[in-house]
Parts: sequence; C-alpha cells; structure tokens
Amino acid sequence: MTIPPGWPILGLGLLYIAIAVAVVLALRLLWQRSAKALADKPGMLRPIAIAGGVLAVLAALLPWVTFRFNDGPYPDLATLQFFDEPWGVTGFRLFVLLLGVVAIAAPFLPVPARRVERAIGLGLIALGLVNTIFPLISGGGFGAITAADGAFAFGGVATLVAGWVVATSAKAGPLEPLPHWNPKVPRLLAYAVLVVSYVVLLLVVAWMLDAGTDPDGNTNTYAGPIFLSLLSFLGAALGALHAFGFLGWLTALSERHRVFSIGVLVVCALALPFTDAGTDYWMTIAVNVGVYAATAIGLNIVVGLAGLLDLGYIAFLGIGAYIAANFSGAAASALHVELPFVLVAVIAAIVAGIFGAIVGSPTLRVRGDYLAIVTLAFGEIFRKAAQFNIGGMTGGANAIPNIPPINWFGRDFSAPLTIGSVRLPSGVLYYVLIMVLVALVMVIFANLKNSRIGRAWIAVREDEDAARAMGIKTGQVKILAFLIGAMLAGLAGAVFAHKTSTVAYNSFQFIESVTLLAAVILGGMGSIPGAVLGAALLLVLPEKLRDLQDWRLFFFGLALVVIMRFRPQGLMPDRHRRAELADEGADGVPIEELNVPDAPDGSTAQAVAR
Amino acid sequence: MTALLEVQNLTVAYGAIEAVRDVSFTVDEGQIVSLIGSNGAGKTTTLRTISGLLRPKSGKILFAGESIDSLEAHVILQRGIAHCPEGRRLFGRMTVEENLQLGAYVRRDTGVEADMNRVYELFPVLGERRHNKAGLFSGGEQQMLAIGRAMMSRPRLLMLDEPSMGLSPIMTQRIFDTIRELQSQGTTILLVEQNALAALALSDHGYVIDLGRTSLDGPGHELLADERVRAAYLGEN
Amino acid sequence: MATLLQQLASGLVLGALIALIALGYTMVYGIIQLINFAHGEVFMVSIFAAAATYKWFIPESWENTWQIALPCMLVGAVLVAVVLAVLMERFAYRPLRNAPRLAPLITALGVSQMLKEIVRLNYPDAKSAINVPRAFIDEPIIITVPGGTVVLQATSVLLIAVSIVGAVILQLYVSRSRMGRAMRATAQDPDTAKLMGVNPNRTIVFTFALGGLLAAVAGVLYGIHLNTVDTEVGFLYGIFAFTAAVLGGVGSIKGAVIGGFIIGVVKTLGGQLLPGGTGYDVVWVFILLILVLVFRPQGLFGEPERVRA
Repeated sequence: MTIPPGWPILGLGLLYIAIAVAVVLALRLLWQRSAKALADKPGMLRPIAIAGGVLAVLAALLPWVTFRFNDGPYPDLATLQFFDEPWGVTGFRLFVLLLGVVAIAAPFLPVPARRVERAIGLGLIALGLVNTIFPLISGGGFGAITAADGAFAFGGVATLVAGWVVATSAKAGPLEPLPHWNPKVPRLLAYAVLVVSYVVLLLVVAWMLDAGTDPDGNTNTYAGPIFLSLLSFLGAALGALHAFGFLGWLTALSERHRVFSIGVLVVCALALPFTDAGTDYWMTIAVNVGVYAATAIGLNIVVGLAGLLDLGYIAFLGIGAYIAANFSGAAASALHVELPFVLVAVIAAIVAGIFGAIVGSPTLRVRGDYLAIVTLAFGEIFRKAAQFNIGGMTGGANAIPNIPPINWFGRDFSAPLTIGSVRLPSGVLYYVLIMVLVALVMVIFANLKNSRIGRAWIAVREDEDAARAMGIKTGQVKILAFLIGAMLAGLAGAVFAHKTSTVAYNSFQFIESVTLLAAVILGGMGSIPGAVLGAALLLVLPEKLRDLQDWRLFFFGLALVVIMRFRPQGLMPDRHRRAELADEGADGVPIEELNVPDAPDGSTAQAVAR
Repeated sequence: MTALLEVQNLTVAYGAIEAVRDVSFTVDEGQIVSLIGSNGAGKTTTLRTISGLLRPKSGKILFAGESIDSLEAHVILQRGIAHCPEGRRLFGRMTVEENLQLGAYVRRDTGVEADMNRVYELFPVLGERRHNKAGLFSGGEQQMLAIGRAMMSRPRLLMLDEPSMGLSPIMTQRIFDTIRELQSQGTTILLVEQNALAALALSDHGYVIDLGRTSLDGPGHELLADERVRAAYLGEN
Repeated sequence: MATLLQQLASGLVLGALIALIALGYTMVYGIIQLINFAHGEVFMVSIFAAAATYKWFIPESWENTWQIALPCMLVGAVLVAVVLAVLMERFAYRPLRNAPRLAPLITALGVSQMLKEIVRLNYPDAKSAINVPRAFIDEPIIITVPGGTVVLQATSVLLIAVSIVGAVILQLYVSRSRMGRAMRATAQDPDTAKLMGVNPNRTIVFTFALGGLLAAVAGVLYGIHLNTVDTEVGFLYGIFAFTAAVLGGVGSIKGAVIGGFIIGVVKTLGGQLLPGGTGYDVVWVFILLILVLVFRPQGLFGEPERVRA
C-alpha cells in the first residue's frame, strides 16, 4: 500500500506548528525568568540597556541583507558600509542606529528610562522582524539573512536580539510613573507647540504615505517592508515621546485650546494635497478614508456612546449612496432627476436616519448580543434587497453606474485643480469636501457627547435599568442614537456615490460592517480621533502592504482578536472609557491574570481590578 | 486540638477597594466558629476567598497545614472545604436529586447513594419531593437543600454563609439545630452570620469583623457578654 | 401538491443540517452566553476537512466503498473540528471570560474571519467552490403522492435521521451524565458550579468540543449531500443556525432541532411561495429572526429570563 499523499503535508504542517509553539513557549519562559530575576535590581538597567543599544548600533552597521533578488538589492545600499562609509547608513538601518543610540543614552538622562527602553526595544524587535522575514519569504531563504556575498550578514538577527535585550532592560524594576508636564503655559507658547506638532504630524503622514514610492511616482517592490520599517520606527519614537510625558502634555494642551487645535488640524489636513502624498491615487484613498471615518463616527455614537452593537451599519452608508445615485441624474437611476448635491446630501441623511430609527426600534425590546444579531439581519436584508433591485431603485446586479461627479458653480469635482502655478491632483475637491464633512461630523459628535443626550447615552450604556430609573427615556434615547448615527452615515454615502461613480450592492457586504466596527474598536470606542485613525489605518495599511493583499481579511480578523485581547480600549482611548474598560466586572480575579509576575503598567491595574 | 483552617493577614481587593483588610482567624478541628459583623464588613468576601472564588491580594490561607490560597475552587473542594454560599444559590432548574448529585460531583466512591438517603432522612421534605425542581421550594427548604448539597462532598470543613437569611424564626432555629447536629457528627463548621445572637450562642469561638478587619475575638459565650458586641450587633445600648 | 411536498422535504433536509449546527450554538451560548460566530466556520472547515480526507487520505481502492470512505471522512472532519473548537476556546475566548460582553463577540467575529481566510487562501482551489465527492450513493427513495412523486435522496434520509437521533442522544447525555450535569450547572451559575467541584474550564472546553463534533457531523453530511462547498457557507449557515437556536430558545436542545426544521422549511417554502422568488428566501429567514428576537426573545421552548433573587 502506498502512503496517501496527504500524510507528508500533514506531517510538515504539524512540524511547523510544533516548532512555532516551542519557540514561543521558550521565549515566554525566558522572558518571565528574566523579568523575575530583574524585578528588584534597578541597577541592572544601565548595563543591559547599553549592551542592547551597542548591539543595535553594530547591527545597523553590519552588512544587512545583501542578497539580491528580483531585480535589485534590498535595500539599495546594503554593503559593508561600516568600513567604507559609516555615515551612509540610510533607510531602516538608520532607524536601527538611531534607536540604538537612544537606548544607550536613555539610562543617563533624566527620563523614565525603563519606559523609554521598553518602547525602543519593541520598536527594534519590530524592525528586525520586518526586515528579516521579508527577504526570507520573498525568495531569499535563510541565505538572505545569514550570509551575503561571502560576508556574514546577521543584521536582522542581531537587531532582533538587540531589541530583546533592550526590552529586557525595561524589566529591571517597575515602570516609572509617567511624568506630568503642566499644561498651563502661556497661550502663545501653547499655540506654537500645537502648530509645530500638527505640522510635523502632517509631514510624517505624508512621509508614511509616500514611503516606498520611487521618484517617478511608482510604488517599488519593497514598499511593504519600507513602510512597515517606518511604522516600527515611528511607533518606537511615539512610545519614547509618550514615556517622556510629551504626548500627554500635547493632549492636555490641545484639550485646553480645543478650538484652536481643531482649526490647525483642519488646515493641516487640507494641506495634505500639497505634500508628496498629493497624488490622484492617495486622494482617492483619502476620500474613502473620509467616507469611512464619517460613517465610523456615526457608528461610534451607536456603539461607543450608547453601547448598542450594530453589525449591519454599512446599510446606512448604502442607503445614502443609493439615494444620491437616484437623484444624480444617472442614466440607470429610477428617477432621472438631478438635484443639487447639497439637497441630495440632506435627503440622503434624512432617509438613512429614518431607516436608522426603524432598525433601532427593536432596541426597545432587544438587548445586548441579540441586538447585534437583529442589526446584522437588517444589514443582510438591505443587501439582498439591493441585489434584487427592490423598487427599481438599486439597479440590482447591474448596479447604478455612471453617476456624474458633483458639480458646483460649473466646477467638476473629479477634475484636477490648479491654484496659481501649483497643479493639485484630481479628486482634491472631493478631498476638501469630505475633510470638511468629517470635521463637521467630529464637531457634531463632540457636542453631542458632552450634551444632555450624550450623558443619557452613556448612562444607557453603563446600566440601562438604572438609567431608566433615573428618568431617562431609554427607548427614545436609543432610537435617537441610531437615527443620528445613520444620518451621518447617509451623508457620507452621498459623497461616496459621486466619488466612486458606481453604486453596487456588493459594496455593502457584512465584512464592510465589520470593517467599520473594527475602525471604531481599533481607534477606541467613544473616541473621536480614534474612529478617524481606525478608518485611516484600515484603509491605508492594505494599500501599503500590497504583497499581503490576499491576506487582508485574515489580518483583519487577527487584528480584531489581538486588540480585544491586549488592548480592548483601542489605540486612542476615550478618557472615561479607558477607566471603564479597565475595571469592568469586579467580581473575582481570574487566576491567569494574577500569575503574571509583573504585567506592564496598564495591565497590572487591569489584573487587580478584575 | 489542631487548627484545621488558618487565615493569616488576609487582604482581598476589588480593584482599588479593599473589601477585606488584614483579617486573621483560626478554625480548630471539630469546632463551630462564627464570623459576625455588619453588612459589607467583608465576611462573604472572606469565605469566597477561602473557597477559591476570589484571589487574595496578600495573606495566607492554610488548610490542614497546607497553603490553599493559590488553588482553584474545584481543587479546594476536593481538599475538603465545602462552601454553602450566601443566598443558597441552588440550581433552580434542576431537581433536588440533581442538586445533591452535583454536591457529590467530585466523589467517585459508591457511598453517594447512601449519603443522599441520609440527607433525605435529615430533611424528609426533600426526600418526598426529590424529583421536583429546586426553584419551587420555600426559603427554608432551599436552605436545607443547600446544606445537604454542601454535605454531599463529605467535607472536613463546612462554610455556611448567612444560612438564616430570609428565614422565619422557627426555620432559623431548625437550621441552627441542624448545624449543631452536623458538628456532633464530626464536621468542622465556619459560620458567617448577621444574626449574631444565634450564631454566637452556637459557636465555640467567634470573630467580629468590622470594616474589613478582625476587631474582636473570643469564645462565643464571652463575645455574647461583651458590651461592645452587644451594642454594635445586638441592638442594645 | 407533489411539488409542495418535494419542497417541504428539501426544507426538512436543510432544517436537519441547520439543527445539527444550531446545537453547538445553543450549548455554547447556554454555558457562557457567547454568540460563537466562528461556529459556522467550524462547520465550513469540517466540510473541507472531509473533502481533504477523501482526496488525500483514503487509498484509491476504497474510495468507492462508502462503508469505509464515510467513516474515514467523519473521523477526519471531527478531528479537525474538535481541535479547532478547543483551540478557539482556549486561546481566543478564555482570556476574555471576565471582559465586557462586547469583547468576546468581536473576537468571535475576528476568529470567524480568520478561519474563512485561512481556508480560502490555503486549501487548493478554494477561492471558488470545490467538489466534495459523492461518498454515499444509494438508490433514491421515490414516494408516490397524489399528483406526482416525491424523490428523496438517500443522503436526505440519512441527514434527517442523523440529526434527530443525534439530538436525542445529546439530550440524554446532557440530562443524565455527570458531565452533562456539570454543563447545566455551569450554565446556570458558574460560581456555584465551581463550589460543587466542577472545573469550569474543562466543562466549557468540553462544550465547545461537543459543538465542534456536531458541526463536523453536519459538515460531512452537507458535503456528501450537496457535493460542493465554498468558504461562504460558514457565515450563512452560521446565521441560519443561530436563528434556529434563538427561535427554539437558547439553551434548549429540543428547541434548537425544532427551530432548525422551522428555519429550513421557511427558507425553502418562503422562496417558493412568497413574493420575490428564491432570491429572497434568505430575507424571510432574517425577518423571522427579527420577529422572534423582538417578540419572543426567549424562543419557543426557552424559559423567560429571570432575574436572580
């Protein structure tokens, strides 16, 4: 009898899994041991951090990945630069060098060194992983990371080890408290700091978007790893700034001068087309980000404020889009009427709002998980209705194509724009429109949140029965959340219809609702900038990581799982919400949590709180 | 007499709030020991920590000389501590018999049937309605079932949390008689009560827990005579 | 008349499938109040596992002997589904057991997305539908009724029989066995169950495994009955099964089965008899789901939620 062909596949798969599990377990053990050994030896910080930092500097100067694959070397200047051109280190190796230097310097500076080292260590690990794995899987094999052109090239491995060592040094003693900087500074100084910070933010965003683009504007083969390297570096830098107390201060400053900082932020956002990222391509993406961000903020009212999980939210965007398509004068629309866009947008918002109230009405009787299922069902019903061209309004499987662009004062929104001698990319007007819309939505959200109705939503989220007992009309309040949230989504849908020019039912699948939810969660439930950041990340990352395009949805799922496990409060948590997520359900401490010897800052509080 | 249960400097916290602070007491083999104190004093938290439902923030719990404060609840039961929780917490949708079988969940021996019959002898009303759902019984009957269920694991130490809660005086008397009988059969008992008078009268030793700390202790009859106890818990001035 | 009966029959077959999946939902929800969105994907993966077993693990000489092929497929599918369900519980849901309610639900969405993508990207040709071999072939049963005949595939009969027998066995197991008691106790009151010496983790993992097993049985039957599968079936059947579980009353085994049959029939007959045609059959199921959740959230056989005294 011959061996069935399935066995070798199975065997190999199991072997890989076993190796991966063994490595992870070994690392975890090592980590726990070293953490335990170092817990009460703050003096060990310096030697370990310096050792790691030196190793990182060496790693940066090592010949890195000199393996040549495809048509070019990766990166383009990967030679024995230490000897012939020590200052010629560029790209990700420059990042490694910088982080290494900071790692060495931090213990000698009056900063919370352990926090800084932790950020740097994690950044180094990320850099090492990205630049080791990429050559490995893009055809280089192990040869690509170990030896090159006859010389040893353990740069990637060395960086990983360096990152590990630096991160370990942070375990020498508990993390320091975050330094608190007084935000009460002279107004002018505050304004200056805010302007500079936001301009830097704008430049960094443009840099990130542009990363991996050749001078001729084409995306190069290494765009993915180049972008991820930059992201790792920026992550480490932000972590260090945070440890320094700067980010907290900046947040406090912008909250003290809210109107001013929103103004600067809007101006900076509008300046994006003038940067390197001002291409047709990025404008399209940015408009999509804006559409999703506005919708995500709407969803944030429902989920983040009122605590009602909606799994069919994309339907409201779809309703707005179909309404706009039907009033656009497109040949395939049912109405053949053309109304001015502003009017159309208002109609779209109102109709979507009405549907929002309808979808929200079961909340009078249904709670929690069941509500999620009801909204999912509504979302699917909408999609089916659109697919089968209900009332002749959706074009069914043929969609509604050829929706004309928005036209104001004879200006076609999809055309490029020339201001003076500067030629701005096509789609820039849509970009301006959606940015204004997002700003408007943010303001609406912020005002709602701090209003009577906002407090009512939060009360409903926290304890519906108690809210009712306190005289809040919970039914009305919940339906209102759906109504307003859906209106924002409908508004965004109207822009979406004109920008994409085709509205098709398969743009509104379940997965899109999950994307919106993911944007809200990733950013932080109830947090305004969080929803925008979440939408931006979820739409920009896949663009930058074309190599992983196929795996987009997989990473999406993975991200949801990982966030819920390790950072349920999201990247930019709402201040109040942060406290809540940390101490929900205060009956009994799960055993696993307490056995962790010394969890990093936030999670210790969490563990004890639980 | 040896200490069966020793609680040393126990502190338990819900988040930043310490519900139990530095509580220490000892239960000797064969005794009835009661913890008394006002509402919210941390008595229930103490019991829940001993039985492994909560984790102490600091302090030690020794049972028969071994540390049990890092064990999980189901292991602690196997070591011989049964906990009859506050509010009885019967499985209301299950029958009397199923509740008793669950009490004997960890036992693999053949004596379960016999023990069940003993419970029915002790509380005939349970035997008569053994196939009825537990949720349909009166408060006193439910308490009987809860105690019977806890006894089914053949514990060395039985912890009772407010067994008299919500019961009529007659029924309370009945339950306290049962507790004494269980003691005479060799079970050590740790009793938590708001009904301080009845509890102390029954106890070999009592501890007063006040605002999360043990503030007083002594033999039951001495505490009963103590002015401070009488003033604070027995409603006398 | 004959057409109607034929439709009814296929509705019942669909219902039997849904019932088997719904049992997993109902048990898991009953014990940890989690809508395990990924359960539908476990069903989907098990169909692929059955197909893979047939394709790669059964020697050619036995491929046409269903007495061997079918059990082999079942073993393959069950192994994969159970391992998957257990891993899922251990690594995705258990760490979140004390987290706010939304967290595990969102995690379940994530897990389900991951499973779908793993299969779609790694199983050969799974980006579109793949074939599942017809491992069980037997004479169809033809019943003469007034106005024509009703044809029942052998697999249809098998499906209905397995789901009913399976549910009966499960019901007996849960009500009579020691583990069944532990499951019910944990579902009713986890803390008190612990005080009885029930190991909650083991009980919950067992529940997931049991759900996985039933999903795998459904998966194999789906495969040999329809002979084709794509990665989307998990989501759709997951929703159907969840609807069935809710309709019957979450936590009730009898309810899940009857709910399953009702959903199957509603979908099939709704597509035939109600306006809109077969395209709208799913819509009727969703409308039924909404109506049930709004007007009778405890389902047909569930007990109304009680506030603990």
